[in-house]
Amino acid sequence: MPGTSEQIARLREEGMAVIAAARSESDLLDAKGRFFGKKGAVSGILKGVAALPMEERKAVGELANRARTELESAFDARLSGMREKERLLREGRDRIDVTLPGRGSMPGHRHPVSQTMSEIISVFRRLGFSVQGGPDVETDYYNFEALNFPPEHPARDMQDTFYIESAAGDLVLRTHTSPVQIRTMERMKPPVRIIAPGTVYRSDSDITHSPMFHQVEGLAVDRDITMADLKGLLTEFCRMTFGPTKPVRFRPSYFPFTEPSAEMDIQCVICGGSGCRVCKESGWLEILGAGMVDPSVFGFVGYDPEEYAGFAFGMGIERIAMLRHGISDIRLLFENDIRFLSQF
Amino acid sequence: MKIPYSWLKEFIDTRLSPAQAQEALTMAGVEVSSCRFLGEGLDSVVTARILEMRPHPEADRLSLCKVTDGSTTFGIVCGAKNMKAGDAVALAKTGARLPNGVEIKKAKIRGQASEGMLCSEQELKLAEASAGIMILPEDTVPGKPIADALGLSDWLLEVEITPNRGDCLSVLGVAREIASITGEKVVLPDVSFPEEGEPIGDLVRIDVSDPELCPRYTARAISGVTIAPSPDWMRRRLTLCGIRPINNIVDVTNYLLLEVGQPMHAFDLDRLRGLRIDVRAPKETLAFTTLDGSERKIDPGMLLIRDGEGPVAVAGVMGGANSEVVDGTTRVVFESAHFSPSSIRRTAKRLGLSSEASYRFERGVDPAGTVYAADRAVSLLSRFAPLSVAKGMIDAGGESVKPRTVPFRPERVNRIMGRVYAPGACMEIFARLGFPVADDGTGTWNVTVPTHRFDIEREIDLVEEVARLSGYDSIPTTYPESKAPEFSGDDRFVDIQERAFDFLRGRGFSQAVNFSFVGGRTWERLGTFLGFDPADAVRLVNPISDDATLMRPHLLTGLLSNAADNVRRFIDDVRLYEGGKAFGKSYVEGHFEEARLGVILCGKRLPGDWSGADTPADFFDMKGVVEPLLLHLCPSPVHVVPTCLRPFFEEGKAADILRDGEIVGWFGAIRKELLVSFELPGPVFYGEIRLLKATASPPPPGRYAPLPKFPPVFRDVACVFPTGVPVGDVLSMVREASHEVEEAGVFDIFTGEKIGEGKKSVGIRVKLQSLDRTLTDAEVHSIHSKIVKLLENRFGGKIRTS
Repeated sequence: MPGTSEQIARLREEGMAVIAAARSESDLLDAKGRFFGKKGAVSGILKGVAALPMEERKAVGELANRARTELESAFDARLSGMREKERLLREGRDRIDVTLPGRGSMPGHRHPVSQTMSEIISVFRRLGFSVQGGPDVETDYYNFEALNFPPEHPARDMQDTFYIESAAGDLVLRTHTSPVQIRTMERMKPPVRIIAPGTVYRSDSDITHSPMFHQVEGLAVDRDITMADLKGLLTEFCRMTFGPTKPVRFRPSYFPFTEPSAEMDIQCVICGGSGCRVCKESGWLEILGAGMVDPSVFGFVGYDPEEYAGFAFGMGIERIAMLRHGISDIRLLFENDIRFLSQF
Repeated sequence: MKIPYSWLKEFIDTRLSPAQAQEALTMAGVEVSSCRFLGEGLDSVVTARILEMRPHPEADRLSLCKVTDGSTTFGIVCGAKNMKAGDAVALAKTGARLPNGVEIKKAKIRGQASEGMLCSEQELKLAEASAGIMILPEDTVPGKPIADALGLSDWLLEVEITPNRGDCLSVLGVAREIASITGEKVVLPDVSFPEEGEPIGDLVRIDVSDPELCPRYTARAISGVTIAPSPDWMRRRLTLCGIRPINNIVDVTNYLLLEVGQPMHAFDLDRLRGLRIDVRAPKETLAFTTLDGSERKIDPGMLLIRDGEGPVAVAGVMGGANSEVVDGTTRVVFESAHFSPSSIRRTAKRLGLSSEASYRFERGVDPAGTVYAADRAVSLLSRFAPLSVAKGMIDAGGESVKPRTVPFRPERVNRIMGRVYAPGACMEIFARLGFPVADDGTGTWNVTVPTHRFDIEREIDLVEEVARLSGYDSIPTTYPESKAPEFSGDDRFVDIQERAFDFLRGRGFSQAVNFSFVGGRTWERLGTFLGFDPADAVRLVNPISDDATLMRPHLLTGLLSNAADNVRRFIDDVRLYEGGKAFGKSYVEGHFEEARLGVILCGKRLPGDWSGADTPADFFDMKGVVEPLLLHLCPSPVHVVPTCLRPFFEEGKAADILRDGEIVGWFGAIRKELLVSFELPGPVFYGEIRLLKATASPPPPGRYAPLPKFPPVFRDVACVFPTGVPVGDVLSMVREASHEVEEAGVFDIFTGEKIGEGKKSVGIRVKLQSLDRTLTDAEVHSIHSKIVKLLENRFGGKIRTS
């Protein structure tokens, strides 16, 4: 029955055109209803097939079925295409830009001096030292005399002192954290093992000296403390602070409150030992002063130097921080320029 | 101190090269901070002779010289005038790079070719300044390297002497130090000379009236001398060591000061009135003109050298103008004395006058060295100046100078150092030092210390000698036996401070560090607004500048200037904190120091926010930092109360923070006048916390309370209050209103026309909760009514219905 075949072909063509023309999902679903619904065109034709003579039924039926399958898959393809497109659109709308900054502040910055100080404190606390503080406004006795700087001693010239107005005229701004040694030993009996971090003052100002700066002092007193212990401890400290391979050296020096006295140098962090302006061509940088507690200091605090021995050490924090961070002018440390602070 | 290597070699024929000497001395505790080759940059500078000199045809100020180095003749254009044909000069050939950095090139100067340069002393870095080119001695052979001709094939060691080692402030002292390192021998130059003059006692009478302050006074006298410049080699050495050459007599005394460390003084014998010297301190104040031309006020107790009528020198510090050697001087008394170090130091400090002499006397000078120095001075001078030496010398107090004996237990050095030093090794070190040892077998040695090592008085000093001369390299590294560390109050403080710093850092604040001293005009002008009476300040006697006259009573001004500085640098959002001490006078202890934490905030509430809400920060942003910070450090409640006691804050925008009834901090908006003064454009908020008070009583560990099993009920109440009602008080009362009120908070607050003048609307959300049952409508209603009544009766509130 050629009429029916033509009808099927026309219907297929028409269906394909509708699918192509559909502008939205609902258009498409409407059209689908029109073609495949119970009363739809395709059903009509299939019903018509049943009315055909037996000999035609097979051929026309096959034709009709093929047309239906083709239309159905065309519908489905178009529908899923539309849905995919819609999904992409929606997602574009909902998706957030995760690279935008988060709300609230990014962390601030620790001052390089405070950072260095804090690390040094924690190294020594791990090595068994406990923290002791002391006043910034000190008496001459604690800052000088009990540390074996007698009045009129030229060693007092090593530290340009700020004096504080007072009735007795004996107050100074401490020039080092060493007075804490005396205050601690007056208060307790050995064993003593303390560090004293703090602010100190000297009347001196240029690119490597600041009238106020920070120090960490250390003191250990016990029956069997030796200079070898001091060297071991400080070598370990330098390893922990400047890296395990940094060469260090220990050489004789002088402080009124220690004897024998020593200074510790690390290999220059700028030139690696070949000599440069920072290390004054020596290849070494002085990092700290140390020594065995002088027997006369023990005399001032009532410790018996025959029974006890001790060591003390002290270091300037600004200098270490400047070396660690490559800062060339100490004054930068006290300007509190946020552009500077943000680098640490 | 600067020491030429060649000078050292005159006292010790050491095998150490200059660089080795630098290393060895440094590692023995006498730090040599630099070792400079003096011939640096003089490679292409040679001696030459001027053959011919005529004016430059084009320029009046220039001359044309023909100069020979013995083999080649050079045409040189020269700007100096102080030379003439036949003079020996220093010629820098083309290609030379002089010590002052100048490179010599072939040049045409006003049309005349110049094939080098005739050098001045300044250009060769031999002097700070020079008037013309350097003229060399007549007998100079042309064509020799200038370094050899001038004795510049030498090294200059710069030695840093610690205050205890005054004995090393001389060539001799450093030579002795090398000897004690290497075991080599120090050889003193011979000082014999004929004594042909009158006996010294006939020329001058010398008395020491204050032997306490002047334990030894040695003198030699000479006559028939002519004042003249000293020889070049001596002038050059003095210049290298930083002392200006004056004349043969003065130069010799300065030379001896450098060479053996004995400060000396030369008096013109004929200017000593009464031909006598008396060493004594005056009883009353008097005026005296020192040879630098300054009039000095001499107080009783300052030791003077006097002649028959009055002072002629401040002993050991500086001579007087009235007795100094002058051009016509023919008879000289050389003083070589020993003065008490503390007396010299006191005098020099009080006069504000430090000299090479006083520097050495303060640090100690060998009392046994006076005679050798006086003899050496005369002997040296006699080599280049005709003179006649008076017979004999005066030596008052010489008999009292004796070496000291110090006991030493070899065992002790092992105990202190933590390694074993063989007794033989200790003996050897003492031998190198020149310390004779007596060992009587008791285990304690008697070590005799020569007078030049006045720093060695105790056993520990000898221990140090053994340790440093054995080398610190040989000390092993051991570790002190570890004991559990104590946890001190200051450990706790360090931890608290760290936690505070971390908290603030997390909130976007960076750390500032300011000086503890403040002051200056800003302080004077703003005193009343800074909330602090200057009379209560801890003041510096000798501030380093006008901006650092007193110890800060709070951390505010430092942080305010930091904020202003940053705003000036186009950083508008400033968030800074600082941990440090505040200082003040206290009636109980004289002064107090307190650990504080200052926080400053200005700019936007959310810096860097992109959602369009660039709201400026306000009071509550600061409250939202300091209050949680306090709770972070110590979780016990704090109370915020308005305050009018802090004049640096705006009135009505200032609060104190209380914990356990004590003020532990304050915060607020900085007052206008301060903003203007610091040139801060917008509002600035500041808070300061008293760290120890704020964390003084940590609460006991929290106790568990059973969790509610029944659902809560929320009720919102909108209520209009008079503006002055503190919402914080309202909330605490609401929380107390009934056992079932679990929480009360503000969800909304506003003012405006709708509400009316002097009123504010506050929305309060209340959470009701019972532990043992679900609340019934009736119960909820009854609590709600109770709250409403409270708001109306207690706070004058009016419930809003819509």
